Amino acid sequence: MNSDKPVVFIVDDDRDVRDSLRRLLTSVGLAAEVFDTAQAFLTARRADVPSCLVLDVRLPGLSGLDLQRELAAADISLPIVFLTGYGDIPMSVRAMKAGAVEFLTKPFREQDLLDAIRHAIDRDRLALAERRELAELRHRYGLLTPREGDVMAGVIAGLLNKQIAAELGTSEVTVKEQRGHVMQKMQAGSVAELVRAAARLGIAPATRRA
Amino acid sequence: MAVERAQAEEALHQAQAELARVTRVTTLGELTASIAHEVNQPLAAIIADASACLRWLAAERPDLDSIREALDAVVKDAERAAEVIVRIRALLSYSPVTREPCDLVDIVHDVLPLAGPELRRRGIVLETALAPDLPRVIGDRIQLQQVLLNLLVNAGEAMRETQPERRRVVVRSSAECRDGDVWAILAVEDAGAGFRELDEARLFEAFYTTKPGGLGMGLSISRSIVERHGGQLWGTSNPGRGATFHLALPGTR
Repeated sequence: MNSDKPVVFIVDDDRDVRDSLRRLLTSVGLAAEVFDTAQAFLTARRADVPSCLVLDVRLPGLSGLDLQRELAAADISLPIVFLTGYGDIPMSVRAMKAGAVEFLTKPFREQDLLDAIRHAIDRDRLALAERRELAELRHRYGLLTPREGDVMAGVIAGLLNKQIAAELGTSEVTVKEQRGHVMQKMQAGSVAELVRAAARLGIAPATRRA
Repeated sequence: MAVERAQAEEALHQAQAELARVTRVTTLGELTASIAHEVNQPLAAIIADASACLRWLAAERPDLDSIREALDAVVKDAERAAEVIVRIRALLSYSPVTREPCDLVDIVHDVLPLAGPELRRRGIVLETALAPDLPRVIGDRIQLQQVLLNLLVNAGEAMRETQPERRRVVVRSSAECRDGDVWAILAVEDAGAGFRELDEARLFEAFYTTKPGGLGMGLSISRSIVERHGGQLWGTSNPGRGATFHLALPGTR
């Protein structure tokens, strides 16, 4: 998983700028994919690898800020490095407030751009690892039967098997067995691990009936 | 007396030429952001390509094909930036007013690289419909560029409040027969606010303006330039929305 080769997406309507950025990134060993419009980028298939978006603010049709909004609306957390040729301060403020990694005015120092891109890719690598981990946890949780889910809620609430059995109206032996299934399916080595997984999944511990 | 009169006329011509130049400076001033952008784009590309070349050269076995590709692009981009500077310098220069054969289509191609980015920045679609065999006109190329530049900037300004999808400027050229002579005509059509009949009479008055921060000199100077060229400059309201400004000059053919 750590050998995922990062990809930098470049969206700029100026062909000279687009091509030069692709060459710059190639020279530092980064793969780049270029697009001339925001729409072209949105419809392209993107590999699930650490990536970032280098985006011109002003684009014909859908602008860079529009694209940023669309990505956010679609819950796509791709880090964005904005480029502008106009030194537009209100726009840069809006972009940064909406979570852009960096906002560079052309012509920029290449080191500033490369630093921003590395920072963005690092950020996405972490986010990607989290997304994958969460997806894996969801998958595991989906393997539980409803009754095992109830048992898990009890375990993470810190209840003893006996207490869970009482809550669920079943025997302690059955709970013990189901508890074993939960630990196995969730691939949890300890109750502490299970609690952490539950927290990531947003699963509430069982509340004991008084 | 004749000498004095000639001197007075000469002084008047100089004053007119200087006034025209000053309004060109003002118009270009309005385009500063877009022009800076037009120079910054190739500069950004040059910096990126030159940096890439330095990295490739530092490799044990430099990738010569990539280096060549990048250097070709550097040359092209430097020319692109220089082109913008050349056009600006021409418009700002103190060069004497000339009378030479000009092709209005060339004038359009001179001005679009300067006005186009500004229109694009305002989200305006720019279209051209240029007739291939326009009669040549006699005049000062720079001053004629100025007139067209001014019309395009005005068209952009007129669409400030226009819905984004309607923002459109069309530059048309055509030849027209008038009393046996052929005239060359340029028309700049916008989809902006247009003008009311009340304004129409005042449009070409000096210091009359509808734009915030406008000097109100553009159209007045443009009309006096065109009239000194023996031509006409006038505005019409479009049937739908917006206005069209027409520049007509007698052909030399």
